[in-house]
Amino acid sequence: MRAALPRVGVVTLTALAVFLPLGLIFYQSLLNLPFFMPNKTVGVGAFQFVFADSDFWDSLRNSLVIATAMAVIAVPLGAILAFLMVRTDLPGRRWIEPVLLIPVFVSPMVLAFGYVVATGPVGFYSVWAKQLFGSVPWNVYSLTSIAIIAGLTHVPHVYLYSSSALKSLGSDVEEAARMAGSSPFQVARDVSLPMVMPSLLFSGVLVFFLGFEIFGLALVLGDPEGHLVLATYLYKLTNKLGIPSYHLMAAVAVCIVAMTFPLVMLQRVLLKNAGKYVTVKGKAGRQRPLPLGRWRWVATAIVALWLFLTVVVPLTGITLRAFVTQWGEGVRLSEVWTLHHFREVFNQPTLVRGIVNTVLLGVVGGAVAVMCYTAIGLATHRKNDGWSRFVDYLVLVPRAVPGLLAGLAFLWVFLFFPPLQPLRATIVSLWVAYTVVWLAYGMRLVSSSLLQVGPELEEAARSAGATQSQVSRHVTLPLIRYGLLASWLLVFMIFEREYSTGVYLLGPGTEVIGSLLVSLWSTGGADMVAALSVINVVLVGIGLAIALRFGVKLHD
Amino acid sequence: MTKLNVQDLHLSYGDNAILKGVSMQLQQGEVVSLLGPSGSGKTTLLRAVAGLEAPHRGSIQVEDKTVYDGIARHEVPAERRNLGLVFQSYALWPHRTVFDNVAYGLKLRRTPSGEIRERVDAALKNLGLGQLGERLPHQLSGGQQQRVAIARALVYNPPVILMDEPLSNLDAKLREEARAWLRELILRLQLSALVVTHDQNEAMAMSDRILLLNNGVIEQQGTPQQMYGQPRTLFTADFMGSNNRIEGKLSEVRGSAALLAGDGWSLWGETHGAPKQGGADATGMIRLERVRVAEGPGDNHVRLPLVTSMFLGDRWEHLFHLGSSRLRAYGSAPLAAGEHWLEIPRNALWVF
Repeated sequence: MRAALPRVGVVTLTALAVFLPLGLIFYQSLLNLPFFMPNKTVGVGAFQFVFADSDFWDSLRNSLVIATAMAVIAVPLGAILAFLMVRTDLPGRRWIEPVLLIPVFVSPMVLAFGYVVATGPVGFYSVWAKQLFGSVPWNVYSLTSIAIIAGLTHVPHVYLYSSSALKSLGSDVEEAARMAGSSPFQVARDVSLPMVMPSLLFSGVLVFFLGFEIFGLALVLGDPEGHLVLATYLYKLTNKLGIPSYHLMAAVAVCIVAMTFPLVMLQRVLLKNAGKYVTVKGKAGRQRPLPLGRWRWVATAIVALWLFLTVVVPLTGITLRAFVTQWGEGVRLSEVWTLHHFREVFNQPTLVRGIVNTVLLGVVGGAVAVMCYTAIGLATHRKNDGWSRFVDYLVLVPRAVPGLLAGLAFLWVFLFFPPLQPLRATIVSLWVAYTVVWLAYGMRLVSSSLLQVGPELEEAARSAGATQSQVSRHVTLPLIRYGLLASWLLVFMIFEREYSTGVYLLGPGTEVIGSLLVSLWSTGGADMVAALSVINVVLVGIGLAIALRFGVKLHD
Repeated sequence: MTKLNVQDLHLSYGDNAILKGVSMQLQQGEVVSLLGPSGSGKTTLLRAVAGLEAPHRGSIQVEDKTVYDGIARHEVPAERRNLGLVFQSYALWPHRTVFDNVAYGLKLRRTPSGEIRERVDAALKNLGLGQLGERLPHQLSGGQQQRVAIARALVYNPPVILMDEPLSNLDAKLREEARAWLRELILRLQLSALVVTHDQNEAMAMSDRILLLNNGVIEQQGTPQQMYGQPRTLFTADFMGSNNRIEGKLSEVRGSAALLAGDGWSLWGETHGAPKQGGADATGMIRLERVRVAEGPGDNHVRLPLVTSMFLGDRWEHLFHLGSSRLRAYGSAPLAAGEHWLEIPRNALWVF
């Protein structure tokens, strides 16, 4: 079938935005010098250098350890949490739900700072623990701690998938088991959990995959003892040789993508299977929750402890730090209160610009990004042909490229193609990178809205005489407008939270809070970092509050 | 004048052939029903005519315009076929008022707004929806929604109106009223309509002609009376009414008369379909209303034990055993337990 011109345009542009940066990474990885050097030659020297570096193998091992630990910790905890929240009469389920998702929407960079100022050697909680026990019983900088923290902060990812699987599980299958004589816990063990197993498997692979993307946590917590992971190894390479070592970074980037890409494809296969037992039924919400009885308090304690460790500790830590001049043993909180850090932030033009840019990028950039995602969504909507299948895979590709790499690749795109250079120092460069990095996420939001439009509503318009584009404008878009507004809000929050994509694009004019945090951290400005982090959390919090106020579903 | 002409239409989903060569015509002012069990391809045929499914062979003409031609690879998109389609789910646009739903087709045809108002009001009035123009679809009852869907499909005077199970979303009671109303509307407005239904009573009541589809081909077509009274195949006979199905062997064949026999019984009937030899397995088919409980023995009578009598409101249904088959008959009063004589008229027992 002949494709319409706008459709070809949308698909081609998307393909360009996805493959150009990626292609540049592959090209650069096969050069012996950065691409802008006149005497570059083609070869595998970059790979040889990297493979000969023991730090590379250390960081690879650490990445594997952390990713495995994350899956081992997050999957069982997330599954238990989902079962407790969806199927039982756990007290306080209504307000726990939004709190659960905080680690998803708060920047890992902020969480990591939070852990340092709360539980580092002189952190708030460490000092309090020392007063209680005489010594600090933990070391937050060890590899074990990093793995545990990474695991705990990724529990919500598992929770999201297993809870939506549990919710869509028709209650009739469980009722049938009850009628056959099994107790509530036998129902969970024999029916509910086996039926959501495909989703658990999927989220396990997802968390393992996210383990390879970890950057902020490892950068902040791994630095003091020198624990590198792949992403931080890449970041450290920037300055290793004095000159920009683009070819080495590209080689590492190719290694990372070589591991993440198969994982993304595996996720796609698993996700198809995940829906295998799902039966969409309106009745699922009406079922009676399982009474926990005397296990009620044990369950509450587990959930409360998890919330305390992953939400309360880092967030209180970072907030306290932002409002005190100094902290250590023997310092009394009441004597060190200050607003000085915030005044300082607002006195520095770079930081103010960073805040303004972050808000602009979230509000305006988020809106434009949702428009782009919608255009792509409409280009493939209800068309099951080669183009659609191509776009299906196309949007998955950026998923395999961690934000840090994507930012680097886009920097190269802007340097490599002279006509694009004027955009380099503007927020547009950031917007392009953000939009491509979150392509898969945004497309899922938009296409889930699109899928809710009954096909006959569109067919009715066509048989009334509307062309494809009239159908989109008169029927499809008006019907999904609330879905699109909700997507805008979610994309806003994600853009506020994003930090790694901006790291390499950071320059005068392109400051955003996320990348400023990374650069301030390396220059040791803990006061500014804390104050900026609080501002970042407040911005995300505003988005979250609006979402809750208008009943926007934070996940499917 | 022929409004719709479908020739040798083939359509498949991948390797799965849905339509295997369907031909049909629809004349001016005629109502044709597409009848068949689920999976027979009737909705697919309707959607192919509408342009919502892509056939791969054959041709479709609306009035004298070819909208699909498999040989010339010519396909007019759905929006340029100028047909009216009423969906099973009605598919009213929830974000538009009743007026805007109906007016949409006229707006697309760049009708002046004064004329739009006139014609939409007229259509709404015609369908008994006069005061409901400003409502949103969800504020209407199911019956009203159905009328809006019909008004929306009629308002721009399409040459043919296509209806996909137009009555199936109404509850049983409302359905019979709507059937009469719809038939009246079609006659009054002299519409040419192609209607998909899976209910043979609905098809017979509403249409001038019935096309019975089975497995992607037309099994038989004709007027409702022909379809009911002169079925050419077992499938048609079975589909078109409430039947007794009697399995047996042919013990004698004399011209068009055949003697069907089983364990301890034998009955004369008329052969239908392909001719058969004596000794072959055969199936007898008789409508429930043609079996009569008789006073005593007689021609083609059979004595059977009564299993039970069921009260249906306006009559009783009696259940008998005939060998391993069941035989049902209507009656006006319950029967006493025990054996009864049943009369099977020779011309009412069709032997296939």
